[in-house]
Amino acid sequence: MTALAAPSERMGTATRRARGTAVVARFALPLLILLVVGVAAVTTPGFAEPTNFRAILINTAITGIAAVGMTAITLSGNFFSLGIGPTVILSGCLFLASADRFGAVLPAVLVTLAVVLLLGVVQAGVVAAGLDPIITTLAFGTIVYGVVAVRTGGEVVTAGATQITGLATTTVLGLPLPVVVFIGLTLLTTYLLQHTVVGRQMGLVGLNRDTARTSGISVLLTTTAAFAIMSVGAALAGIFSAAQLRQMQANDLPTLTMDIIAAVLVGGAAVAGGEASPARSALGALLLVTLSNVMLLQGLEPGVRVFCVGVVVVLLVLVLHLVRKAGAR
Amino acid sequence: MNAVRDVAGRYGIQMVILGLLICVLLVIAPDFVGENAAFAVLERLVPLGIITAGIAATMIIGELDLSVASMAAMSGASAIVLGGQGLGLVPLVALLTVGGLLVGAAQGWMVARAGISSLVLTVGTLILFRGVAWLVTDGVPVSLTNYAMTDPLLGRLGVLSPLSITALVVIAVIGVVLSRTRPGKEMYAVGGARQEALAAGVPLARPVVLAFAISGGCGALAGALSSLRSASATPDGFTTMLLLAVAAALVGGIGLRGGRGGMVNVLFGVAITATLAAGLASMGVKSYVSELVTGVLLLAVVAVDAGVTWLARRRELAEHRRTLTGPLPRRTALTHEPVSPVGS
Repeated sequence: MTALAAPSERMGTATRRARGTAVVARFALPLLILLVVGVAAVTTPGFAEPTNFRAILINTAITGIAAVGMTAITLSGNFFSLGIGPTVILSGCLFLASADRFGAVLPAVLVTLAVVLLLGVVQAGVVAAGLDPIITTLAFGTIVYGVVAVRTGGEVVTAGATQITGLATTTVLGLPLPVVVFIGLTLLTTYLLQHTVVGRQMGLVGLNRDTARTSGISVLLTTTAAFAIMSVGAALAGIFSAAQLRQMQANDLPTLTMDIIAAVLVGGAAVAGGEASPARSALGALLLVTLSNVMLLQGLEPGVRVFCVGVVVVLLVLVLHLVRKAGAR
Repeated sequence: MNAVRDVAGRYGIQMVILGLLICVLLVIAPDFVGENAAFAVLERLVPLGIITAGIAATMIIGELDLSVASMAAMSGASAIVLGGQGLGLVPLVALLTVGGLLVGAAQGWMVARAGISSLVLTVGTLILFRGVAWLVTDGVPVSLTNYAMTDPLLGRLGVLSPLSITALVVIAVIGVVLSRTRPGKEMYAVGGARQEALAAGVPLARPVVLAFAISGGCGALAGALSSLRSASATPDGFTTMLLLAVAAALVGGIGLRGGRGGMVNVLFGVAITATLAAGLASMGVKSYVSELVTGVLLLAVVAVDAGVTWLARRRELAEHRRTLTGPLPRRTALTHEPVSPVGS
């Protein structure tokens, strides 16, 4: 009796522990955001106001859109793109310059999307051929930055007489367009990654590239799809950023690449691939922006703010990583 | 004779690239000659050479320390802020280097013991160290008030300076550690074939901790020396150093998958990328253009590396096929002999 009960009991605790870690991994982030919001609402004057929540959402939108796109890269086992910051700047500059030339917003958006997508597909081809994704995207990022800097001569790019601010100020259901697109893109990417064949294959390639290849999954196709999703995110982030700022230059947004990667990591994506959720990356971006916002309202120095965000990122990443390892055991 | 062939085989590609580069620069940059050109290249050993040596140590064990540029920024900012505290130049630099070594060793310990992927950990610490640099400088550029303090760094002995001599000594010491000591050889074992090395009894923690300690110490030393030379630091400094150091290491022939290359490769890689950057700078080309060219060079080198790996793999597969199909007659002959006395 005891001899029979013992193993099943052990299995019971094992599955319970696995389920426990899964619950922690899934709900830790929303709970943490609620905690930060709750504490801040009580302690920080000016935090719990509709205008401030709106500002947080607008600030999250740019990083969030790019982070959601980046999630596809991480899922497909290509770690992350170290060139996403320059790509966002490229799309912003390209959008402004083509809006100036065409005199209208829509063709500028389409041109930007097309060029950035092409850039992503080229990188996907190179990475799928077996080159290291981190080094490749680092090199591409530098080349993109160099080309933007050379083309603009380091000068500020504007849209001239074309009205582009509408993109950033139009509201849908009371929310600004970038926020709506951010939420829409999160839902769409979640659907693409979790409910389509290519999306599921991406996760399988991320889990085990060789096995996926032998099972007949095209690494080229999944890598291309992942880089395409990332490119759409980067292009949209650049367009909305340019529409908000109404100008852009090669040296803008120096911390963007790391902010985006931080959001994905805080979202709990497995860096080696196979497990990543766009919604959690979006929440990761939201958490980091909310934290910065609270510290800003508390009147902390910029140095302290950047440092605290860094501490939170490292702690969360380590805890999530160890929790996942414990769950996998 | 054999030694010559050995050196040519090991560093031939790097020698050819460096030779071609110098020839091209002699044609397109006529000002870039003689002692001044050599001095300009050697001055780039700080910070590029030291940082490349550090990141190469982690590449040799098959990991990658992405935080090394942030470490340089953190240490550089600390050097400028602490510079006004009355500490001497040498104790200050030594203090920061030891600090970097310890922080790096802690990172290595986490990678080895907790089994955290070095990419995850060092991307996190990349952000954290940058945050410390912001904290130390309060987010604004800081400069040294005690200018006399850094005078010993600014001397010049022919083509060398105290800074480039320090860098060369550091790289030489790391080279000796890697090739002549037991922990150094363990680093190659762990990087070349981790499973086999562990099965053969190599402790994982020691070489990994050593590699990350070297990387942290190099990052801190390079950041401190470089910031003290310019007597100023910004929290956003050294951002392009990660690209340049990775590019220099790969161009020099350090293998990305670990176990391949040494400090001579680092010197070649730094010589190539530094000559390129210094040559272009002497022509008045903006630094972002030379970064662009470095990016293209990096991509080309990685592509060649991938191509060579692919060819080697194909050749290996062909070899396997030949051994499988080749000696067929003997195998058929064997089947007639009794396999075991029990039989069926």
